[in-house]
Amino acid sequence: MKPIEKYVEVMENKDFAGLAELFSKDGILSDYCTNSSAQKEFHIYGKETINMFFRNKFGFRQYSIMDAEVVNDTQAEFIANFGGYNIMAIATVREVTEDGHIKNLTVRPK
Amino acid sequence: MGVYAISGASSGIGAKAKELLLERGNQVINIDLKDGDICVNLATEEGRKEAVDALHKMCPDGLDGIICNAGVSGACGNLPLIISLNYFGTIALAKGAYDLLEKKHGSCVVTASNTISQGAGRMDIADLLNNIGDETRVLHLVNQMDASNLSVGNSLYVSTKYALARWVRRVSAAWAANGVRINAIAPGNVNTAMTATMSTSAKMALNALPIPTKYGQETLMDADEIAEVMIFLVSDKAKGVNGNVMFVDGGTDALLNSEKVY
Repeated sequence: MKPIEKYVEVMENKDFAGLAELFSKDGILSDYCTNSSAQKEFHIYGKETINMFFRNKFGFRQYSIMDAEVVNDTQAEFIANFGGYNIMAIATVREVTEDGHIKNLTVRPK
Repeated sequence: MGVYAISGASSGIGAKAKELLLERGNQVINIDLKDGDICVNLATEEGRKEAVDALHKMCPDGLDGIICNAGVSGACGNLPLIISLNYFGTIALAKGAYDLLEKKHGSCVVTASNTISQGAGRMDIADLLNNIGDETRVLHLVNQMDASNLSVGNSLYVSTKYALARWVRRVSAAWAANGVRINAIAPGNVNTAMTATMSTSAKMALNALPIPTKYGQETLMDADEIAEVMIFLVSDKAKGVNGNVMFVDGGTDALLNSEKVY
C-alpha cells in the first residue's frame, strides 16, 4: 500500500497509533481546512504529537473523515468532519523518507 | 515569612500547596468544608461571608497571598454546586480578601483548568457568569439541565473555569495598579482523590487528553507539579507576572492548540 492509502485507512479506522506510525520521527501533519470552522489550523510536529493529538480528537469525536477516495499516488479526497462541521478536503503526501515514512502531509480544503 | 490563605487545602493540589508553603516557613490558613482552619461551605453566601470575616479576624495586618483553589469536578453530579462553588465561591473569596492583600501588596492565584482552551464549555453560561453575575438566575437555569449527563456537568465545569480565568484577566490591571497581583493557573488532569474515584467513562475521557510530559505512561500529573507553580505565582519571585493564565498541564494545551500563541 502507498502511504496515502495507509493514511486513509487509519483515518477511517480512527487509529491514532497507526496514524503516528506512518510518520517519520520528525514528520509533520498540517491541516488548513479549519478556517471556516471554530477550530484553528493544525500543525502537528512529530509522530508522538500526532499520536496524542489524534487520540484526543478521535476520543472526543472531534475529527473524522468519510467518503474517502484516493485520487493519485499522493493524494486523497474526503469529507473532513470537525466536530460536526463538514469540509471537502484533499490530503497530499508531500514528502516521504527513504524508509517509506511520511515526512510531510498537508490537508487543505478542496 | 509570609501569611497565606488557601481554599480547598484539605486535599489534592491545595493540600500540596499548603505543605510546600509550610515547609518554607510560612503561615497557612486552610479554608475548607472539612478539616480547615476555617471550616465553611463556600458554595453558600453565609459560608463565604464567614470565611472572609474569619480571615479579617485572623490576619488584621493583611495577607501576603491567597490561593483560591476550592472546587468540584464536572463529574460531581451536582450542577448548582459546580456553579456556586467553582465560580461564585472563588470570586467572593478573592474579592473578600482583596483589602487584606492590599495591605501587604500581596497576590492572588485562582485555580482554573486547562480545559478552558478545549472548546467544551458553554459560552452562554460563561457570559452570564462574567457579565451578569446573578447567582440565583444562573442556578435557576442550571437546575433545568440534566444532572445525570456527564457531558452537561463537564461543560458547566469548563464554563465556570473559563469565566474565572476571564474574570482574573478583567480585574488584573486594576488590582495591580493598587499593588495586588492576580493570576490564574490552568492545571491539567492531576492525580487526586477526585480523579481516583472517577467513573470508568470519566477516566476514559481523561486518557483522551494526553499529557506530553507523561507520554507513554498512562498517568496524570502529580499535585506537586501544579502546587510548585502556584507557590511561584503567589510569591514575590513572580512580581512581574499579572493577569496571566498559566497552563501547567505538561503541554496538553500546546499539543491541542499550537496555533493559539496568544
